[in-house]
Amino acid sequence: MNGAKIGAIVEKEIADARKNRMIILSMALIPTLLVAMVLGTTFVMLNVESVDEASLDEDELSMIPAELSGLNPSHALLILLNDQFMFYFLLIPMMLPVYIAAYSIIGEKETKSLEPLLATPVSTSELLVAKSLAATIPAVVLTWLSFIVLIIGGYLIMPEPVFLAMIRPVWIVSMVLLSPLLALLSVFSGVIISSRMNDPRAAQQVTGIFVVPIIALSLVVLAGKIFLSVWMVFLAATIALAVDCVVLYFAVKLFQRETILTRWT
Amino acid sequence: MIKAEGLTKRFDDNLAVDGLTLNVERGEVFAFLGPNGAGKTTTVRLLAALIAPTDGRAWVNGYQIGEDNINVRRSVGILTEAPGLYERLDAVQNLTLFAKLCEVDDVAGQVEKYLRLLGLWERRAEPVGGFSKGMKQKLAIARALLHEPPLLFLDEPTAALDPEAARTVRDFIGEIKEAGRTIFLCTHNLDEADRLADRIGVIKQKLIQVDSPANLRHSLYGRRVVIHLASVTEPVRTAVSSLPFVEEMQQMDNALVISLDNPEEQNPILVERIVAAGGAIQFVNELRHSLEDIYFALIEEEDRETQA
Ligand SMILES: Nc1ncnc2c1ncn2[C@@H]1O[C@H](COP(=O)(O)OP(=O)(O)OP(=O)(O)O)[C@@H](O)[C@H]1O
Ligand SMILES: [Mg+2]
Repeated sequence: MNGAKIGAIVEKEIADARKNRMIILSMALIPTLLVAMVLGTTFVMLNVESVDEASLDEDELSMIPAELSGLNPSHALLILLNDQFMFYFLLIPMMLPVYIAAYSIIGEKETKSLEPLLATPVSTSELLVAKSLAATIPAVVLTWLSFIVLIIGGYLIMPEPVFLAMIRPVWIVSMVLLSPLLALLSVFSGVIISSRMNDPRAAQQVTGIFVVPIIALSLVVLAGKIFLSVWMVFLAATIALAVDCVVLYFAVKLFQRETILTRWT
Repeated sequence: MIKAEGLTKRFDDNLAVDGLTLNVERGEVFAFLGPNGAGKTTTVRLLAALIAPTDGRAWVNGYQIGEDNINVRRSVGILTEAPGLYERLDAVQNLTLFAKLCEVDDVAGQVEKYLRLLGLWERRAEPVGGFSKGMKQKLAIARALLHEPPLLFLDEPTAALDPEAARTVRDFIGEIKEAGRTIFLCTHNLDEADRLADRIGVIKQKLIQVDSPANLRHSLYGRRVVIHLASVTEPVRTAVSSLPFVEEMQQMDNALVISLDNPEEQNPILVERIVAAGGAIQFVNELRHSLEDIYFALIEEEDRETQA
C-alpha cells in the first residue's frame, strides 16, 4: 500500500467530481432538502399549529414513550419526529456514494481512461482503497456538514428540550460512527456493481435495498415503540461493521482488473 | 527487452493471439502490422500485464508477466488505442496523477519537461476535453513517457490524425528512438513502419513473418532493376537473357524488368551488353516494392495456407 499513490487518485477523483455538475447537484440536493425538511417541520409544528396539550388526542399521547413522559407532550412529539428524521440523515451517506463509486470505475471504462490507469504500477488494493475513499469522504463530510447546519438551525428555532434531544449522544454517535460505516457499505456495493455491470445507473437501484429497512426502522421509532438509546446505535454500528466486512470481502474478490477492462456485456 | 514464448490469448472461443514467439532487442523499434482484429492490441495488453495469457510465457525487461506485474508495469509506458484522458481535468492534472502513480521523483519537473517538449506548455491549464485530437494524442504520449520507461508501447499513434499532426507525432517517435528507447509500434500505416522500424512483424493471430523491411522485400521479391530503353529490340532481349546471372526478365513497353541477386556488380555488365547490342538506355532504376505490396503478399499467402 502506497499512500502517495492512493492520495493521487483520491485527489484526481475529487478534482474531477468538482467539475461534474451532475454529481455536484445530486450531492447537494438530498442533504439540503433534508435539513430544510427537519427545520421546516419544527417551525410549522411550533408556530402554525401551536399544539398544546389540550389539542392532542388520546392516540397521539399514547405514542409518547416513558423516557419522554416528563416533557411537554408537544415537545415530546417533536422529539419523536426528529428522531425519525435522524434515520433520513443516515440515508445520506448510503444514497450518495453507491453511484459515485460505481461511476468512478464504470465511467473510467467508458471514457477509456481505465486502461492507462491499470497499466501503471498501482496495485489493485491501492486502486480499490483510493476509489472507495474518494466516494466515502465527500458523502461523510456532506452528512456531517448538513448535521452541523441542522444543529445551528435547531439552536435558533427549537425549544430547548427539543434541541437538547437532537444533540444527545444517540445522534452524535450515529453521525460520527454509524454514518461512515453506512457510507462504506454503500461504496463497497458500488464497487461490486461496477465489476459486474457496465451501467452505473444499476447502482442506484441498490440504494433501494438500503432505504427500505431504514425507513421501516424509522417508522417503528415514530410510532413510539422504541425510544432510541446509545446502546442501540452501538449495536447497529457493530452490525454495520460486520456487514461491511462481508461486502468488502466480496468486493475485493469480484474486482478483477482484467475482467473489468475486457468485459463488455 | 521483450521475449515471448508461445504467448496465447483466447476470449471465450475466439483465439485472439495464437502462440506468439518473439524477441525484441533493447533499443529496437519493432513495428507490428496486421489487419483489424489480428491481435495487435491484445498482444500489447498481454505484454503490458493488463491481461493474463491463456497460455505461454513472456518476459519484459527481464520480468516475467503474471509473476512480477508491478515491475513489468514500471518498465513500460503505453499509449493505448484511445488516449483515455480525464477530459474535465487540465493537462498538468492529467500528467501529475500518472507521474505519481509511476513513482516519478521530480513530479513537477517531469510534467513540465514533457509538456514543453510536446508544445503543450502554454495550454497546460485548460481542460483537455477542449484539445484537438492531435494535442490529446501528444498528451497521451507524454503520459506514457513521464517515468522514462525503457520500453514504450504505441498502439496506432497516428491513427485519426491529420497529416500534419501525424507527422509531428511521427517525428517525435523518431526522437524517442534516437534516445535509445525500445519501441513496440502497432500501426496500419505501412509507410510509418517502413520509415521508423528496424524490424517488422506481421501478425494475423499467428505471427506470419518477422524481419527488417529490407530483408522482407528481398525474401519476397528478390531484387529487380528496371531499364528503360528507346525501344526494346530482339538483339537486346537475347543479349540480356543469355547472361548467366539474369534470373528472370519481363518486358513492359519499352522497359525491361530484370531480377538479379547482386545488382551492384551485375548492373555494369548488363548495361555494357545492352549498349553493345545497340540498345539506347534512357534510365536505370532499382524496383523497390512498397511495404504495402509486401504486406498484402504476406497476408494473402497466410490466407491461402490456412484455407489449404
Ligand atoms: N475484450 C474482448 N473480448 C472478446 N474478444 C476480444 C476482446 N478484445 C479483443 N477481442 C478479440 O480478439 C481479436 C483481436 O483483437 P485486437 O483488438 O487485439 O486486434 P487488433 O489487431 O488490435 O485490431 P485493430 O487493428 O482493429 O486495432 C479480435 O477478434 C477481437 O474481437
Ligand atoms: Mg488494435
